[in-house]
Amino acid sequence: MAFLLRTIAMTVDGREIVRDTRIEKPQISVGRSAERDIHLADLAVEPDHARIEQLDDRRILVRSVGTLGFTSDGRASQRSEIDSTSGAELGFGGHKITVGREGDAITLTVRRESALSDAAEEKDEAEVFSLKGKLPGKRPMAWLLLVAVLVAFLAVPIISFSLRPAKADPKTSHVVGDKAWSPGALSDAHHALEKNCTACHVKPFESVRDTSCKSCHADAHDHAPAARIADAREKPGIGGAFLQSVAHTFGKPGPGACVDCHREHDGAGRMAVTSQKFCADCHGTLKSRLPDTKLGDVSDFGTAHPEFQPLVAVKAGLPGGHPTFERISLASRPKDLTGLKFPHDLHLSKTNGVAKMARTLAGEQGYGDALACKDCHTPTADGARFLPVDMEKDCQACHSLAFDNIGGTVRTLRHGKPDQVVAEIRAFYRSTGPVAPLELGGLGRRRPGQYAQGQVYSAYFGAVPVRPARGEQAIATAFSAKGVCGECHSVSAPGANGAKGWQVVPVHQTSRYMEKGWFSHAAHKTEKCESCHNAPASSSASDLLLPDLKSCRTCHGGEGSNAKVATGCALCHNYHAEDGAPWLVKRKVAQGRFDTDRQHP
Amino acid sequence: MATRVQSARGQSARGQTDRQTRQAATHDGFLRHANFKWLKIATILCLVVIASYAMIDVTPRHNGGSWYGYTLGTVGVLLILWLTALGVRKRTMTPGRWSLKAWTSAHVYLGLSLIVIGTLHTGFQFGWNVHTLAWSLMMLVILSGLFGIAVYAALPSALSNNRDEMTEAQMLEALRAMDRQIHDAAQPLPREMAEVVSRSLGQDAFGGSAWNRLTGHYPRCATSAALARVRVTTGPQADVGTDPLEKVDTLLERKQAMLGRLRRHLRLRSMLEVWLYIHVPATIALLAALTAHIVSVFFYW
Repeated sequence: MAFLLRTIAMTVDGREIVRDTRIEKPQISVGRSAERDIHLADLAVEPDHARIEQLDDRRILVRSVGTLGFTSDGRASQRSEIDSTSGAELGFGGHKITVGREGDAITLTVRRESALSDAAEEKDEAEVFSLKGKLPGKRPMAWLLLVAVLVAFLAVPIISFSLRPAKADPKTSHVVGDKAWSPGALSDAHHALEKNCTACHVKPFESVRDTSCKSCHADAHDHAPAARIADAREKPGIGGAFLQSVAHTFGKPGPGACVDCHREHDGAGRMAVTSQKFCADCHGTLKSRLPDTKLGDVSDFGTAHPEFQPLVAVKAGLPGGHPTFERISLASRPKDLTGLKFPHDLHLSKTNGVAKMARTLAGEQGYGDALACKDCHTPTADGARFLPVDMEKDCQACHSLAFDNIGGTVRTLRHGKPDQVVAEIRAFYRSTGPVAPLELGGLGRRRPGQYAQGQVYSAYFGAVPVRPARGEQAIATAFSAKGVCGECHSVSAPGANGAKGWQVVPVHQTSRYMEKGWFSHAAHKTEKCESCHNAPASSSASDLLLPDLKSCRTCHGGEGSNAKVATGCALCHNYHAEDGAPWLVKRKVAQGRFDTDRQHP
Repeated sequence: MATRVQSARGQSARGQTDRQTRQAATHDGFLRHANFKWLKIATILCLVVIASYAMIDVTPRHNGGSWYGYTLGTVGVLLILWLTALGVRKRTMTPGRWSLKAWTSAHVYLGLSLIVIGTLHTGFQFGWNVHTLAWSLMMLVILSGLFGIAVYAALPSALSNNRDEMTEAQMLEALRAMDRQIHDAAQPLPREMAEVVSRSLGQDAFGGSAWNRLTGHYPRCATSAALARVRVTTGPQADVGTDPLEKVDTLLERKQAMLGRLRRHLRLRSMLEVWLYIHVPATIALLAALTAHIVSVFFYW
């Protein structure tokens, strides 16, 4: 009855050293202390860890001394009976004791299984000193990101694009993920299309075509016939031609395509204003390419813009007809034959009879110390222009047409109807006698001498039969140059121009002199009327009181200039010809931006 | 102890002199290559791009989609492809005009010039889209590269100072020796102490997360914990030289110092490596984003 203790140690180069010790004891101790029979230099083992006793020839009992147990064939235990013929493996800390039998002895083979410390274990220096294994590997991460980006930002939108329904509702998007392709928000005008890229980007790899724009903007007027625009466009230089050829190679439309001026994806808010350069490209030197054009060359309002050419009446119309109009440059100081006689200076004087009359009527009519422009001129509802001056409303307060008073009711001549005026005067003279002298009234005795020629009776009774004929004289007086009609109007006498009666030359008041450009008085409220219109110095109605280019340039300069108001073409002109205010102006009015002192297009 | 410190100082001073000699004699790193030739070229390139950006009047505003934007974009993408090629080129070392050093120098400076070229290409229009994704990845790649250059310039001397002429294998071996001694010295210890000490032996000195490595901060260090525990006992009692715990105390302290050096070394090394873990995958992601950017632009042309 003995234990054969077999200790296996490893040399540095990996050889095994086996040492056998026979212990003739029925019970042996296991522990870290040097005095134990089986001494395990292992910090995971207690100094006195366990006992191994022989129960009989074959069986042994292993039991822990303290609370720290051991493993028996891998199972943790405190106490274990082992048949040495079938054997077992005991684990104490990092050591293994294999139980077996050799002859009559029970063998206990002791071997250190785990390294003495973690550092003592085999380490791959190239790896442990690097970050390898501490972070996701470069290669797997690279693949992962590559695939993720290509799938999310390329494959998904392209596949979704190719699978979208053929007849898609244009208001909604049918392409998944193409929002990530949008380089920037659309302008406010196109905000509704934000989620529907295919509304404009119809075919893959084909740039946005005008047809896409015109599917909504069907009413956008052409600037001019396409062939004429093509002739007008300045031929590009070497650089420009190169850029154009590159653009064409990549399938860009143009020049002259909608997108050439109207750039999108530049962020929410207002679409960027088309710069004057786009206009000046053609209009700067238009005459050299279109010799027959009536337009002057223009490239900048402040430095290169032709003088205004208002539409003026060069010949007054015949009664019942129309005046003849012509566009004449303000440089040649044209007259506008309105058909009226109206001296502005007289009416705006602060000292004469007109001013005195204004003061007399101030309470009733709301005039000031003298007449002002607003007393006769009324703006249109939009404030852009002025309504025609109206005789009844604007003149009659002073220029009365009253001729009779019957029981407090004033009878007036009919304005604008010469025949009616003639009839009224005739009727008046027919139905009334001459004014009876006072001497003819009362019951006093009249002496015969009073009937003599040149005396009261003779004068009165002589006038009575001729009274109706006196009407013709009154009519002639009314239509004469100093008469109630003739003081304002040009009149033609009966027989002139083949007409039977008196006739008045038609009056025309132009409400818009410049039809190719836009001007709004509302935008110029900060100015006085006189700063542009020199009415106080005008003595004739045919004086054209429009300000000239120089006058406008006191405030307005070209785009990007240092003028008080830097002005691009689009402030006054519409590219897509229409009658209203230019698009830019409409937008500014909508935003209330014309109330500021300084305005930028 | 005093002798040790002195000798360490002596070694480090010697190391410094050696380095200075080496630099002065032969070393001309990729940053200073050919008297900053590529720095000059990249600077001129940037100035030309900035000046042309300011002078060329693109209406209504600068934008990646103008002719000038496309020009910068084309230059940028060609540069990016060439810069990426360093990943292949670096595997072959050659001397001369087209040497790897020259190539790396150009890589660094032309790469930095992409900050200007790429950003002006955008016209400063950014958004949540694939285009800005490509720009962001490009910036991430450049900034991580910049970090890499900074640590390459600054850290090797710190690394060398810290190593104190020890090789990595020597550091590992020193640690093993320390562990063996601690193991032996701890044999007489009672169970509780033995367990504490054994945790120090069992802990992987190379363990911990990448964060621990980069910060050099290891709050769960078993050696510190063991030393603290041992100190509770050894602290108040006089060192008479008989208590085995006193020896363990000394050994643990030495191991902690050794670990400190090892961890500084690991920290410096990881700083030298970590930027590549961003630089390389971000470069590949950038190539993907660039592909998506270009294809999408032409798809919705």
